[in-house]
This record gives sequence, structure tokens and C-alpha cells, in this order.
Amino acid sequence: MKKFVLATGLAFAGMVAVPANAQLVPHKDMSVTTAVTIAQTAVQTCKSQGYNVSAHVLGRSGEVLVAMRGDDTGPQTYENSFKKAWTARAQRAPSLNFANAVKANPTAGAIHLSNMVPAQGGLPIMVGDDAIGAVGISGAPGGDKDEACAKAGIDKVAAELK
Amino acid sequence: MLKTLTGISLGVAVVCACAAPAGAQLLTHKDLSVATATTIAMTAIETCKAQGYNVSANVLGREGQVVVAIRNPAAGFGTYENSMKKAFTARATRAPSGKFAQTVKGNPNAPQFFLSNYVAAQGALPIMVGNDVIGAVGISGAPGGDKDEACAKAALDKVAAQLR
Repeated sequence: MKKFVLATGLAFAGMVAVPANAQLVPHKDMSVTTAVTIAQTAVQTCKSQGYNVSAHVLGRSGEVLVAMRGDDTGPQTYENSFKKAWTARAQRAPSLNFANAVKANPTAGAIHLSNMVPAQGGLPIMVGDDAIGAVGISGAPGGDKDEACAKAGIDKVAAELK
Repeated sequence: MLKTLTGISLGVAVVCACAAPAGAQLLTHKDLSVATATTIAMTAIETCKAQGYNVSANVLGREGQVVVAIRNPAAGFGTYENSMKKAFTARATRAPSGKFAQTVKGNPNAPQFFLSNYVAAQGALPIMVGNDVIGAVGISGAPGGDKDEACAKAALDKVAAQLR
């Protein structure tokens, strides 16, 4: 009996001693509505400027939340918008940063990973300092124009990103 | 002289144009716009949501290419892939995917079953313009393929006026 009490005591001691990093990790993630609004706003913004683009919105783990193939876009824009978004999510930074890094160092290690592309047009989707996903746009004549549409998409849902 | 030559060559050109076989003309296609496709996908998702079901949706185009793919994080893990495969099946067979499900029930080794992306599950409908199949919409996540299909149907009904 005493042994049992002792064992129980030890078990409790063990529970109390659980290290802080063993707790679950709290995450905020995009709803389908938010993700679709981002993609659709970006596509429509570019369209109103005369550019047909494709869009991808990825979630926290780089999973596709929304994929959109724009009207009359080149077949590569679908893949490229995904990779730009992936790059932005992976680096928690605009894909332009990686484009610049590769310009300075063409053998940058990350270029050999899947889905990384040194091209402007992808932006991370942030909640404070937390990158909860990314949006990538491809099809406009210039990555800066793609990025501007991506930004318009994120701006539209800014109030939801907190 | 010049006039005569021009006249003759023009005449020849016109004859050649007339003589081209009908099958050598370019094909005229009507295809989904991204706006229509997005309306279809979101209408299906929202219709199911209103009924208490979280679903993912895929809208494919004429060649089975993804036009709009939407993963609903609130829906089950496999729904993103399944909605694509249901749509692919509907596009490929030009019929509701539930029909292929029936076929496979009758013949578990139906040869299409050995191709990629076919799935024997209800929940997808072809997108038709007259007799022309221009794509398909696939839904997955509701508790029953009939409920998925009803949401797909609601979405197609919503854009019916655009499908011509």
C-alpha cells in the first residue's frame, strides 16, 4: 500500500516536472474564406490593371489552401505562383528577398530545395511575427506587379490577420 | 499588269482558302473563367456549410487541369484530394462521379479504376455547355456523397446563366 502511494506520488511529481516545451503549440490559421478572399482579390486587382495572373495561397506548412488558374494565363503561371508562395512561406519574407540573395550568390543552398524560386511576386501572410502562410502571384509583366497584387490581397483581409 | 497579277494571286489565295479541308480549321472552345470557377467552388462550399458540412472543392477545366482548388481547413484531411479526384472522374466520364461508383460496384475491376485520379465516389458533376463538357466540380467532406453532390449541383445552378 505504501508502495502504491509512493508510486502515485512519483507519478504526480513526473507530471509536474513536464517541461514547458511539451505543451501543445497554439496556432492561428487562415479560414477558407480568408484564403479565398486573398487569392481572388489579387487576381482581380491584376485583372483590373490589365494583367491575367494565377494565384496560390498556402498555409502554415506550405499546404495549398487555394489554387487559382487565371484566365488566358500561361501554363507556367500556375506552378510559378505556387513556388513563389512556397519561397515566401519558407523564408517568412517576400520571395524578392530570395531573388536578391540568389543574384548575390547563385549557389545559395536553398536553391537546391524543392519549390524554391528566385522570383518576386510572393509575400508571407503574417500574424504579428508568425508566418501563417503565403500568397504567390504570377503572370503580370514583372514580379513587382505580381507582388503589388499579392499585397492588395493581403491588405484586403488585414483586419482578419490577428 | 500589276493589277492583273495582284488580282490573280488574290484569286488563287481565295481558292486555296476555300479548298482547305474543314478538319484543318481551328477548334472553337468555350472555357470556364476563373471568376465563374471560383463562384462555383465557393457556392458549393457555402451551401454545404449552411447545411452544417465543411467541404473542400475542386473545379477542373476541359483538360482536367485545376482551375480552382480550395482546401477547407475545417474539412477532413482527405477532402482536398478526394474533391479533385471526384471532379476528374466526372470530367473524364462526362457524367456524375456517382455513376462511376455504380459501375465499380457492378465491376470492381472496371479498367478505368487502374488509371490515375479516378475515384468511385459520388460528389462531382460535369460542367456542361450544351453537350460539351467544359470541366467538372468535385466536392468532398459532407457525410455522404449525395450531400456533396447536392452542393455541387447548387453551385452549377448558381452559374447556369453563364454556361452557354
